This record gives sequence, C-alpha cells and structure tokens, in this order.
Amino acid sequence: MTTKAEFLGRIRDQVRRTPGLFAAAAARRPQHPAAEAETIRRELAERWPETLEAFRREFESVGGVFYKVGSVDMVPAVVARIAHEREAREIVAWHSSALGADLAPALGARGLDVHQMPAAEPVGAAERERLRAIAARADLGLTGVDLAIAETGTLVLVSGAGRPRSTSLLPPCHIAVFDRTALVESLRQVGVVLEAWHGDGTPPARGAVINFITGPSRTADIELTLTRGVHGPKDVHAIFVEQGLRG
Amino acid sequence: MSDGELATPFRQRAGGAMKDTFLQEALTIATTKFIGLRREAFAGFPEGEALRDQARAIKEATLQDLDRHLETLIANVERLGGHVHYAATPAEARSIVVDIARRTGARMAVKSKSMATEEIHLNEALEAAGVTPVETDLGEYIIQLAHERPSHIIAPAIHKTKGQVAELFSRELKRPAEPDPEALTRIARGELREKFLQADLGITGANFAVADTGTIVLVTNEGNGRMVTSLPRVHVAVMGVEKVVPSLTDLMVFLAILAKSATGQKLSVYTSLVQGPRREGELEGPEEFHLVLLDGGRVAQIGGPLREALSCLRCGACLNVCPVYRQIGGHAYGYTYPGPIGILLTAMMEGTPAVKDLAHASSLCGACADACPVRIDIPRMLIDLRREVDERKIAPWTERVAFKLLARLLQHPRLYRVAVRAGRLLQRPFAGSGRISRLPLFFGEWTRTRDLPPVASRTFQERWASDRDLRA
Repeated sequence: MTTKAEFLGRIRDQVRRTPGLFAAAAARRPQHPAAEAETIRRELAERWPETLEAFRREFESVGGVFYKVGSVDMVPAVVARIAHEREAREIVAWHSSALGADLAPALGARGLDVHQMPAAEPVGAAERERLRAIAARADLGLTGVDLAIAETGTLVLVSGAGRPRSTSLLPPCHIAVFDRTALVESLRQVGVVLEAWHGDGTPPARGAVINFITGPSRTADIELTLTRGVHGPKDVHAIFVEQGLRG
Repeated sequence: MSDGELATPFRQRAGGAMKDTFLQEALTIATTKFIGLRREAFAGFPEGEALRDQARAIKEATLQDLDRHLETLIANVERLGGHVHYAATPAEARSIVVDIARRTGARMAVKSKSMATEEIHLNEALEAAGVTPVETDLGEYIIQLAHERPSHIIAPAIHKTKGQVAELFSRELKRPAEPDPEALTRIARGELREKFLQADLGITGANFAVADTGTIVLVTNEGNGRMVTSLPRVHVAVMGVEKVVPSLTDLMVFLAILAKSATGQKLSVYTSLVQGPRREGELEGPEEFHLVLLDGGRVAQIGGPLREALSCLRCGACLNVCPVYRQIGGHAYGYTYPGPIGILLTAMMEGTPAVKDLAHASSLCGACADACPVRIDIPRMLIDLRREVDERKIAPWTERVAFKLLARLLQHPRLYRVAVRAGRLLQRPFAGSGRISRLPLFFGEWTRTRDLPPVASRTFQERWASDRDLRA
C-alpha cells in the first residue's frame, strides 16, 4: 500500500522540477470576509426589491413556484393550499428555531399532520430510524433558507441540528420559507458569505453539508426528455415573507 | 471496458457505430442540443469569458503547488474526523474501497455518478467481494442494468431508445414498463429509493475538493449525490488528485461556468458541499467519511506533456462539438473517457500505446479547445501524441516510412516537383472520379477511411512559374 509520505513525495518531486505553463494565481480571497459579507448585506438592504424580483424570475425559470406574503401569519394558508392541491396531509418540517417561525400549530389547525424535527440530536439508532422514516413517507418538506441567490434562482440550505438534510430531499414536494435577510445577488457574493461562514463570521448552523438547490430534481437521461422528480422533489415552492420571519 | 471490445480494432468499432442509424440520430440530436444550450448560457453571461480565463489560472496555480494544497486538504479532512487514503494505481484504489466495505460490513453500495470510479472499474471489484454496487444516476442505472458502458460523460445512456429502456426495465425489474420517459423515470425512482434507504455504503466521486475547508463538492441534477452522502452510514469519495482547488472563493469561479458548459444550466440542480462525516446535532449523514486520493497516471503528467489535461472539469463540452465524436459516439473510443479529452486522459491513464489509433481520431479542427471552459489546448496535445506514437515506433513501420518520405519531399522543392510529376502519372488509374478513394499496397491504409485529393493537372507552383510574364 502506498503511504501518505510516498504519495505526496512523488507529487512534490514532480512539482519541484516542473516550471509552470504560465504565471498564475488562485482567486483572491476576501481578507475580512465577515466584514465584507456585512457590507454586501447592508447594500442589499436598500435594493432588495430588485434582487427579489431577479430571484423570482430565475427561480421560476428553473421550474420553481414563487409566492410573496406580507407577514409570517400568512404562510400557513399558502402551505395548506399547496397541500390541498396535492391532496397531501403529512408534512415534515425543520424545527421552529431553524425555520425562524413556529408554524406547526397553525398548520395543525388547518388539518395538516406536522412532524417537526427535533432541535437536538435524537438519542439512539431507533429514534433516528423513526424520524428518517417520517421524512421518507411525508408528502411535503418544509424548510427555511440560508441564502437565496438571484443570479441563479438558487436556495442554499445549511444542515445542522433541527434542520435535517432529508427534509428538502425525500418528500416529493419541498416548500422553503425565507425573507430578505437571505437574499444575495450573485455567485461572487455567495463566495464571500461562504468564506465568512468558514472564517471570521458565524455560520447559520454547524452541520456538515451546505446544499445549493436550483429548482426541482431533474433528468434528461432517457432520450433527452426533461423529466422532473427523479430522486429529489418534483416540485419546489419558495414563500417570501415581506415583513421578515423573526418579527 | 470488456477485453472483447478492445480486441476489435478502433476502425471497426468506429465503422460499426457509423452504420448504427439509431445511434447516429441520437448523437446528432443530443450533441446539437447541448451545443445550443451551452451557447445560449454563455451568450447571456458576459463575464463568462473572463471567468473561463480565471478558472484556467486557478487550475494552473493549484498544479504549481499541488503537494501543498493536498496537504492542506488532507489535514482538514482529518481534522473533521474523515480518513484519507492514498491510491497510486486503480488496483490500489479498488482494494482500499473493498477493504472499507468489508470492515464496515457493507452489503450494498449506492453510487452517484463518478468517472473516477468508472476509471478504476470499481463495480466489478465490489461484486467480487460480495458487495452489490447500485448506480443511481438514471443514465448510469440503465447502463448498469444493460451491462454496458456510458457513451457520454454527462449523458451516459444517450445511445438507448425509450423502447429499449422499457424492455430492459420489464426484463430486469420484472414489472411492466411503458416506453414513456416519465413513467420509466417513476419506476427508477421507486426502485432506487429503496436502495438508498437500505444501503450501508455511499460511493461518490468529487467534482471539486476545497483544500482550505476539507470540503468535497458534488454536482448533480437528480439529487442522487445528496441521497448517497446523507443516507448510508459510510461515505467513500474517490477523486483524482487534480480535483483540489484552494478555497471556496475559487470554487465559486468553477461553479459559475461548469453547468453552463455541460448542460447550459446556470447551475446544476444540486451542488452539495460535504464537509466530512455527520456532525453533532445532525439527524442524518454518515458516521464515517473516507477520501481516496487517486494518482492513476496523473502525477507523472504534472511535469509531462499532458499537464494541461489535468485542468479538465469533465463537463463533456468538447465531446458535443467534436466532428469525430458526433459520428462515432463514446463506445467506439473503447475506454472510460470518450471524445477529444478522453483520448488525452486515456493516454495519461493507460499509456501512449493505448491511443496509437485514437490519437488520429480527430480532425484537429480546434472546436474542442474553443468549447473547453478552461481552454485546454487539446489539438496541440493530440499532435504531440501522434509524434510520440511515431517516435517510439508504436505506429506500424509502413506508416512511419511513408510519413518520413513525405517529410523529406516537403523539405526539398526539387524533389517535390519531381514527385508531383510522378504522382500525376501514377494516379491515373485511381483518380477517375476526381477523388482518389482506393490505393494499392499499404497506401490503401490511408484511403480506407478517407479520400485523397489527386495532384492537380496544373499545380499552383506550375501556374506561378508560367504566368510570371503575364503578371509583369
């Protein structure tokens, strides 16, 4: 078996005795990413309606369904309507602390069966299995959004306690709720935010995965016919809350 | 590939593909569609050209310091609780993955699409060790059920009709299947969903690895990459050493051009940044994470003639625009990586003798270099490979002698003029139709696959000489 030292030694030898093809440098990383991310956020606070409009356009062009509501109280009605159209009852949802709003009571009152994922790690394999089985059979998955990218119509979700990876993956329909604090304009800005989360800033959660979701799951593997929902959700809905989620 | 396929000479494989009318039509439709989608994506993206330059520069800069970036990556993966393994050869990579499967008691492995695991022929090794590998990308799943190989880097089953897929599903899955892409996709979803939930082991490649954060990046449209890295209790990622990029800032440059080049999307549906095993507080995610770093001929090219090919993102753009690929499809190439870039990667992994014919399977038109998101000069390296095939005497002696004679003629004007006159006489029996399409002896090798233009009744040199008085 090749050891680490042998493996890297061979590479080092090659690198040392090889002149580069041309003078080249990696991308310049932000020196103080948290401060730069904050600047981006501040600037966006003034032009968020344009950013939201750009996001809506891109999100719809990749097959997402966009809604805008005034306040968080209006979210359950939208969710209930989506559920009703699909004749769906069971919803698996991120924990209210991760969602930024406690929607379970209002959804329950509308006849929906809401399974809220726990805020802390479940104890034991059996409990883990039970919760996963819920996500696997649920009709709808309800999550928050950490970044909404206008350039590409993308939702970025960080995994962690109370925000399982499966909520946006296993159910055939994913509903994401967000407000203006999640909006960014470009992939370049996302780079700054990611550097901040990794470096001197605070990430929204401490899970191991950051997922970029750009529309519903799709494939064109059979005769190039575009087909939705091959493994992930067939439908993706994004609900924007104008007055903000956390009051 | 199977040995049987490679026992057939390239010319026969290519000839067979060109007689397959369905394949011809499928290739034309698919590649034309991809070309259009890519063009549109970049047309609406003025900063694309600058980003392509930057992406190339990042790849080159990373290679100039590859050992250091890998050390950073390794340190970060281990800090996060992951394990790193070192595979100099495909055989070593296979045995590392098989050992992990054995040690963790895995019986079924779900795989998301990965060229690196195709390259090392991992599935056969897993099967031999009693572990059932399940390809979960729809195209790859179809290919696996049919016991075939992918024919395109990003659309592995473009050579199959929906009717063939329906027949395949009915036979292999023992359930009725209608020849309708939507219905077939639904069947695959059901079948594979069960496998995702049962499997012990998730196997992926890596589109990128970020040194600075120890992150593996997976790009898929179907969501299988997310399933494979979220549900099984062990995740193994196999990646070529050249896939590392220094930082998240660099990563964003590549994400901005990768999907546009491959499918014309602004981003693929799912881009997952996976940082080691499940963290405290998480409901899902693997308990164990393993990263297998693969050399497989790459390291020798850091200082070798194929260095530029180490920048390849595996987007497939050069396949779609290649006039040869568009005619013969992926299978005729005979190895894991088809198309223009595939010839270079095959030379890298299997050695130059493996591409003695493939090196000529290019018109050198340059369309591949134009389409390449990181502007790899593929034609230049193909010419270098042809020279090497000649210099190392891999080509047949007749071919080498013929080209040496031609080179001599082209260097000596007087000799050339004599040869032209001789050629004009000798070609008479063969040039009846205005093209020479059949020649005797070993010259026939040339005309087996292409015509030769005959020597003109009056060559340019002759006209130049005799018309001099008129010009004055």
